[in-house]
Amino acid sequence: MTEPTHTKNIREIELPQPTASPMVTAFGFTLMVAGIVTNWIVAIVGCVIMFVGIVKWFGQSNPESKEMPAVPAPKPTPIVPRVDGVAHLISDSGHRARLPLAIHPYSAGIVGGLLGGVVMALVAVGWSLAMHGSLWYTVNLLAGCMLSDFAEQTTEQLYAFQTAGIIVGVMIQLVMSVSVGLLYGVVMPLLPRLHLLFAAILIPLMWSGLTWASISVINPALSEHINWLWFVISQISFGIVTGWWIIRSEKVSTMQNWHYLERMGIDSPGVRKMGEAE
Amino acid sequence: MSTAPMTAYPTPPEALPQDGMSNGKFGIGLMIVSEITFFGTLIAAYVFYIGRDINPPYPQDVLEVSIAPFKVLFNSVFLLISSVWIWLAVRAMRKGRMGAFIFWWALTVVCGAEFLVGTGMEWYDMIVNDGVWIGTNLFGSGFYTVVGFHAFHVTMGLIVLTLILILALLGHVTPRNVEKIDLVSWYWHFVDGIWIVVFSVVYIFGNQAIT
Amino acid sequence: MRLAGDSEVSTLETPIGPATGRPPFLSQLHEWVTTVDHKKLGSMYVVCGIIYMIIAGLEASMMRWQLAWPGQTVLTPEEFNRLFTMHGTTMVFFVGMPILLGSANIMIPLMIGARDLAFPRLNAFGFWLFLFGSILLYFSYFGGQGLYGMGSAPDVGWFAYAPLTERTYSRGHSTDYWILGIFVAGIGSTATGINFIATILGMRCRGMTLMKMPLFVWIMLVDAILIVIALPPLAAAQIMLLFDRLLGAHFFDAQAGGSALLWQNLFWFFGHPEVYILILPAFAYVTEIIPVFSRKVIFGYPLMVAATVAIGFISLGVWVHHMFSVGLSPLINAIFMASTMLVGVPTGIKMFNWTATMIGGKIRFDTPMLFSIGFLCQFLMGGLTGIFLATVPFDWQVSDSYFVVGHFHYVLFGGLIFGILAATFYWYPKVTGRMMSETLGKWQFWLLIIGFNMTFGAMHVSGLLGMPRRIYTYQTERGWDLWNLLTSIGVIFQIAAFTLFAINLLHSAFKGRRAGDDPWDAWTLEWSTTSPPPAHNFDEDPVVYSRRPLWDLKHPEDPDWKYE
Ligand SMILES: [Cu+2]
Repeated sequence: MTEPTHTKNIREIELPQPTASPMVTAFGFTLMVAGIVTNWIVAIVGCVIMFVGIVKWFGQSNPESKEMPAVPAPKPTPIVPRVDGVAHLISDSGHRARLPLAIHPYSAGIVGGLLGGVVMALVAVGWSLAMHGSLWYTVNLLAGCMLSDFAEQTTEQLYAFQTAGIIVGVMIQLVMSVSVGLLYGVVMPLLPRLHLLFAAILIPLMWSGLTWASISVINPALSEHINWLWFVISQISFGIVTGWWIIRSEKVSTMQNWHYLERMGIDSPGVRKMGEAE
Repeated sequence: MSTAPMTAYPTPPEALPQDGMSNGKFGIGLMIVSEITFFGTLIAAYVFYIGRDINPPYPQDVLEVSIAPFKVLFNSVFLLISSVWIWLAVRAMRKGRMGAFIFWWALTVVCGAEFLVGTGMEWYDMIVNDGVWIGTNLFGSGFYTVVGFHAFHVTMGLIVLTLILILALLGHVTPRNVEKIDLVSWYWHFVDGIWIVVFSVVYIFGNQAIT
Repeated sequence: MRLAGDSEVSTLETPIGPATGRPPFLSQLHEWVTTVDHKKLGSMYVVCGIIYMIIAGLEASMMRWQLAWPGQTVLTPEEFNRLFTMHGTTMVFFVGMPILLGSANIMIPLMIGARDLAFPRLNAFGFWLFLFGSILLYFSYFGGQGLYGMGSAPDVGWFAYAPLTERTYSRGHSTDYWILGIFVAGIGSTATGINFIATILGMRCRGMTLMKMPLFVWIMLVDAILIVIALPPLAAAQIMLLFDRLLGAHFFDAQAGGSALLWQNLFWFFGHPEVYILILPAFAYVTEIIPVFSRKVIFGYPLMVAATVAIGFISLGVWVHHMFSVGLSPLINAIFMASTMLVGVPTGIKMFNWTATMIGGKIRFDTPMLFSIGFLCQFLMGGLTGIFLATVPFDWQVSDSYFVVGHFHYVLFGGLIFGILAATFYWYPKVTGRMMSETLGKWQFWLLIIGFNMTFGAMHVSGLLGMPRRIYTYQTERGWDLWNLLTSIGVIFQIAAFTLFAINLLHSAFKGRRAGDDPWDAWTLEWSTTSPPPAHNFDEDPVVYSRRPLWDLKHPEDPDWKYE
């Protein structure tokens, strides 16, 4: 059994014989069920038909399944090696190369996201203090995206410190900052140029526009609380800090050309780098 | 495929990636999985309604007073012990002892039939003496649906078991069929196993709940 | 019904047993009725699914005609209720299910190098149960007032909420037809799901370990597992409902202590996995198509497998997000909000893997690829609005509005139907031996993109403006006129697109260009046999060394197995 191919005589291939018994059984079963909504006679007839089908089916598969030999058919066109070579995405990295070859480390994305998130929070809290004289206003507004009962609160209540507001608000900010930071780290090397412009200005602007357009329809009450100029400024501050932090990190190459043993950290002399010439 | 093996191929693949499990075992095993989710739903509904009934009679009025727990327990033992008999039957068949196979198999059928008769008597008692039917209250709806579907599965199993018994008596079942017979026994074990759950929920757990 | 129009390559005409000597039509019919061949059964599934798609599409078109302007009287309220019930039920159970079962039926054995499914006769049984079950449901229309006043088609919505379905409120037998038709078809689907799992686990060819299976097969494996786990609970819930209606049980009868909420829980415990059962096959199709038309290997195979399994698991634990507005405790809502958002992670991984496969590739924009890209864009929109809806406060705002209708059409139409169209153009040559017309296909694609976004994009707006779903008409002062008109105009484009599709399907079966064995220069095993494949699929048992066996044969100088 070590030969990779073994030829069978086609006549030796066995296939199950065609049979109507599954169809008859299914038909009988359906009639039986239909009897519930029509007439009990229908159900009786269905029962009988189903019984006939089952008996025939049993005969088809016992004691041995009834088989028939396969019929010879035209052969498929043999698959021959291609003479024209394979265009490689990147020279000498094999046909399985993936783009990008090097990415910013995930840690840069996470740290950058966290830094950006902190700066953004500072800007937002600054606005809250300057315009409303409350330290907690922005946090409560953010938490209101998830906490449904915040919608009924008065502005004074939103100014006040609330434990649930702090917990949920900080959680949202953390999760969003880290995920966006990670995304930045992966997506930025794919952009041809102007990385910082994208990260710092364009993406925050797009995001702000999207939020503005949807919030005013979805939640007009929340929308009234938001100062859009400051919103954009805080978004851009996030973009600048995160983008800057990621760009200044050193890119690491993906491990795509490594042998999986190497990827697991096993370094043995027998392991050859894949795609390397023998 | 049609080209000759290339010298460069490192290791010819092992014989077949799958080991030991026949199609039939997969098939019956998966059928049992789907049956478990089916029963699971019915039982979940039963548990959901425990203690929520607003019309009497409540489970403890019916299940404890008129049906001695002993009686149900007695029937259950018959059903559960039949799992052992069918296991012995398959074992006998594997060893080629057809006489022993028929004996244990017939014993399984008898025990299963006893369980059904017991269920029938219990139902008769409940309907006639206690006046509980499926439309009486939530308990009736749940009880007759869950226990009824289990009894229905026992009945189906009994029909198959009986047919096999007849075929065996006529000499059509040989040790060569042992794989298929084994699969039937899997189904029977499942029916027994599900009864343990139904019994615990309906007669023990649901019976003590305060309404 | 017969798709293969190619007599010299086909072996299907071999007279077998009693069919000999009958008139050609009858012997053909006999052949199709008695067949246990997975390819023929799969083709019948797909053809029936497409016929039901036309029926359900016409039902939707009638509703859109009624809603195009305010105050229309094309349909009565009763007819409207029947139409949206039958449209939803048909699309889910008699379009999505058969087409996914059919495609998996045809492709799984070919892709894993097997001769048939594990249980060919059970497979036929599953198909016939689906067909008869669907006919039973549609019989409710014709049963009408005839025998015993059976009532007309079901009118309780596709999720048939209790207590509306109790016999006090739903007179006649229409709801019983809904229960029984789906019950019968559901048994068939469960049997076929079992069949798929047994086939995939037990019948792979030599060398095809689990991690060398095509991703199509992996995704269908998870899909089949979901079918086996999620469909029986629906059957159980339907039986309880049936007992309520026929025997006077009280499961969902609030006056006797029964709970309408239980039905919602049971239905959505089935219903949410069901939408994943429907969308996973679309993932399977595009995961095969995108690499072939990008001329690159799929990005992150192990991650795709993990994401598929994760989606399968998570989808069993999110059903309460359909019930945010019924007033459950905030804690339960929060838990299910979190679990629902969690589904976004593996789904996002898949989106990234598909796009990463395309980046740097030599992309060929043939019709299958066009529809796959269409799938990516539309499904992304549907997925994002899905994240919106998973947020409890947002859900409260738009629950049961046209926003929800728009959302799930982006997922199921933009996702599933676009996937199905991509798959049809991709595998049609393999099944029939002939190519579909690229010109017609591209016209269809652009018409559909315009019509689809017009119809379902506008629904989001009318939903945000407060239009509830399932209303049969509305007043002009509500400000919904424009958006409803747009929605209805989009339908015209869609009808045009699907007419082209039907023409393309029929015309190509007879007049299409000969496809040859491997028209797309693809890499999985189904392309190594003839088109259409012989009844026994492969003359010799295939042996594979990598996930792309045909690549290894075409490029022995740099084979895939070196990398896996
Ligand atoms: Cu859902």
